[in-house]
Amino acid sequence: MPHSQDPERRIESYLIQIRSGLKGIPEDQIADIVRELRTHIVERAESSGTLSPAAVEDALLALGRPDQVTSLYVIDNVMARAQGSRMPWTVLRGIFFWATMNLTGFLVFLMCLIGYAIGTSFFLAALLKPFVPSIGLWIGDRDRFFLVLGQIYPNRGGHELLGWTLVPIGCALGGGTILLTTHFALWCIRKFREQRRLRGFGKGTASAGSRQSV
Amino acid sequence: MRGTDPQIQDSADKWAVQLRKGCLELAILAALWGGKLYGLEILRTLETDSDLIISEGTVYPLLSRLKNEGLLASEWVEAEAGHPRKYYRLTPAGRRQAVAMARIWARFSASLNGLLGRVLQESE
Repeated sequence: MPHSQDPERRIESYLIQIRSGLKGIPEDQIADIVRELRTHIVERAESSGTLSPAAVEDALLALGRPDQVTSLYVIDNVMARAQGSRMPWTVLRGIFFWATMNLTGFLVFLMCLIGYAIGTSFFLAALLKPFVPSIGLWIGDRDRFFLVLGQIYPNRGGHELLGWTLVPIGCALGGGTILLTTHFALWCIRKFREQRRLRGFGKGTASAGSRQSV
Repeated sequence: MRGTDPQIQDSADKWAVQLRKGCLELAILAALWGGKLYGLEILRTLETDSDLIISEGTVYPLLSRLKNEGLLASEWVEAEAGHPRKYYRLTPAGRRQAVAMARIWARFSASLNGLLGRVLQESE
């Protein structure tokens, strides 16, 4: 791959890619990460003598592709914040990052999405019931089965199950489902982080007995 | 392992990599036991003292995580000549974690060594 021969510019170009890959991390932490990596690259390159283009390329090669480096920072940061905040949106965002990594993450994300959708629907229905009384939990009559939370066309048939009890039941079910989904998501995140810890922070982390890291 | 089937050797090598990955956190905490070090020094300490070679792009996110967990603290130190360096040191929680992990490791490896002694003796 052809690279700029100016070592300083080559380092800056690498660090720009690092910076742009650190999405979701607070700006002061990004500045700190970039500063630390710059020091590492320069010092490692200079350890062989002068800051030559070849030495810089070696240092960058040893550090790895920018997207590989940033993904480690981002996933850990996002998951740590999700675990710390307990807010559904932050939790879901953390799970989304996990979903982009593997099938397990995708399945957990899907389950959480469904959980939050059900919880929010019940909650909204309960909140809107006083303003739109036709909102309810509708069930179809014997010949046509359906179950709808909301409004149905007047000529569709069926009857409403909960009446005004939808308000307390919807609040309880909605809040409960959101709470349960958040607990499930946090439990999954904790397990995910424990697994990463056991696996030594991910793929291609360390080796021994040979002089080449994997 | 002289005369070992390449497939078995490959499988053993993969196992060794997994085993060492699991020890990374303990190795970093142990490397910092003697005092503060910066990233490149940590890499070199692990390489020379434990033969544990970490991918360079991995060590910094790992240090960042340990810092976020309160096991490490960091500070920028302006060097008299050269570049400012970010030094890491163990926090009291980090020291307690290092001791706890080291004790578990020592107990486990001692008990396993007893079992492995026969395997190694008979294979020679």
